[in-house]
Amino acid sequence: MSLDYMLSILKPMLEGAQATVLLFLIAIVVSIPLGFLLTLAIRSSIKPIAWLASCYVYVMRGTPLLLQLLFICFGLPMIPGIGEYLVLDRFVAASLGFILNYAAYFAEIFRGGLLAIDKGQYEASQVLGLNKWQTTTRVVLPQMFRIALPAVANESVTLVKDTALLYAVAVPELLHFAQTAVNRDFTIVPFFVAGIIYLIMTLLLTALFKWLERRFKYE
Amino acid sequence: MKRLAINLVILASVFFVFAACSNNSKDKKEDTLIIGIDDKFAPMGFRDDNNEIVGFDIDYAKAAAEKMNMSVQFQPIDWKTKESELSSGRIDLIWNGYTITDERKEKVLFTNPYLKNAQVVVTLANSPIAKLDDLEGKVVGLQSLSSASDALDNSPIKSKIKEVTEFSDNVLALNDLKSGRLDAVVIDEIVIDYYMTKEQDSFKVLNESLAPEEYGIGVKKGNEALLEKLQKALDEMNEDGTAADISEKWFGENKVLQ
Repeated sequence: MSLDYMLSILKPMLEGAQATVLLFLIAIVVSIPLGFLLTLAIRSSIKPIAWLASCYVYVMRGTPLLLQLLFICFGLPMIPGIGEYLVLDRFVAASLGFILNYAAYFAEIFRGGLLAIDKGQYEASQVLGLNKWQTTTRVVLPQMFRIALPAVANESVTLVKDTALLYAVAVPELLHFAQTAVNRDFTIVPFFVAGIIYLIMTLLLTALFKWLERRFKYE
Repeated sequence: MKRLAINLVILASVFFVFAACSNNSKDKKEDTLIIGIDDKFAPMGFRDDNNEIVGFDIDYAKAAAEKMNMSVQFQPIDWKTKESELSSGRIDLIWNGYTITDERKEKVLFTNPYLKNAQVVVTLANSPIAKLDDLEGKVVGLQSLSSASDALDNSPIKSKIKEVTEFSDNVLALNDLKSGRLDAVVIDEIVIDYYMTKEQDSFKVLNESLAPEEYGIGVKKGNEALLEKLQKALDEMNEDGTAADISEKWFGENKVLQ
């Protein structure tokens, strides 16, 4: 297929990529702090809170994201009585679903980061006379973030690709515009173009995380 | 690290405000019809080279809305969730080659049929399959949750077919036919007519069709007022020739049912 054709289908796809990028930014910025709070809740010494947080992670990780999106978008309005007040804007509904789902994964990633910190680090802090707050903010958390970084990068790349689920709740995104072009022109070239755009996005993301990893090296 | 985090939060809040504003401007008004369409369904509703939504149903809906003194907004939806979209109130009408079936009549209200269609069987041009009975022991593809599967279910040939494979859209099914994984595809006559103009020599359509069917417009159950208003507009368009003009433009002949 000609280069002209590829350029002509590029414009709508880049429009769709805007929705992809916007959802990615919202989901990553909100779900990482939320996931961290969840980690704290899971490790909380107050049992009901720890139990609730574990249940939450179990449900969010244990069901498909697509199912969760469909439930938020089409299930909530069906609830008798309050349903009519729960008709969220599509994009808001989708963002909510991604945030809730990814927070559960990030919570587990951060928990793994905490588990990886050696007991000696806590003992050393104690010897140095740091109190609990100082130990957490100056010794434990910096190491936890550094340890968790590769896993966070991995999950972020997955998030970029999961945005293709947006069209299930009728938000047109990159892959959808590729499909409309495929259906109009009866050729699968648009799929290749979409693949290249995804690769460029994940390449940028990978580079960003590589840079962060170098920046927070502590050896 | 801290500065980076702050920057990211600011960036996100800017986006949020931006998204919120654009949502407000799209707030549903009383005189706006939100029409759920499948923007991958050429020639009824699809995207042209400039990414504009065009098609027979699009022109037809615009003309009807004009008669009703309402404005229209086309909402591309995932065709698999069309009835959920309608019952959750996110769209007012399903209007895109929506086949009237008894099963669907239990869930939505239909206008009178406006277009005739048929489910036909497509094979590769050089295939030995020449009639419906030849499908015995063959692999057949179709678009999932479309009326093609209803038509096949109601046909006696269904029990003799080796396997039915469902696809998310028609083009994927046709591509699978070309690559040889399928022996035949069941598809809307109107749709395959369009693709045959794109690729003339690849396919042939069997003379025997599976089931004649008709397209109607779906309205949410309980909204009889809108149905009545819409039907009146459609009738007017039939009388003053607007419908015929739109049909001429897309099909080269007047196919709209009176």
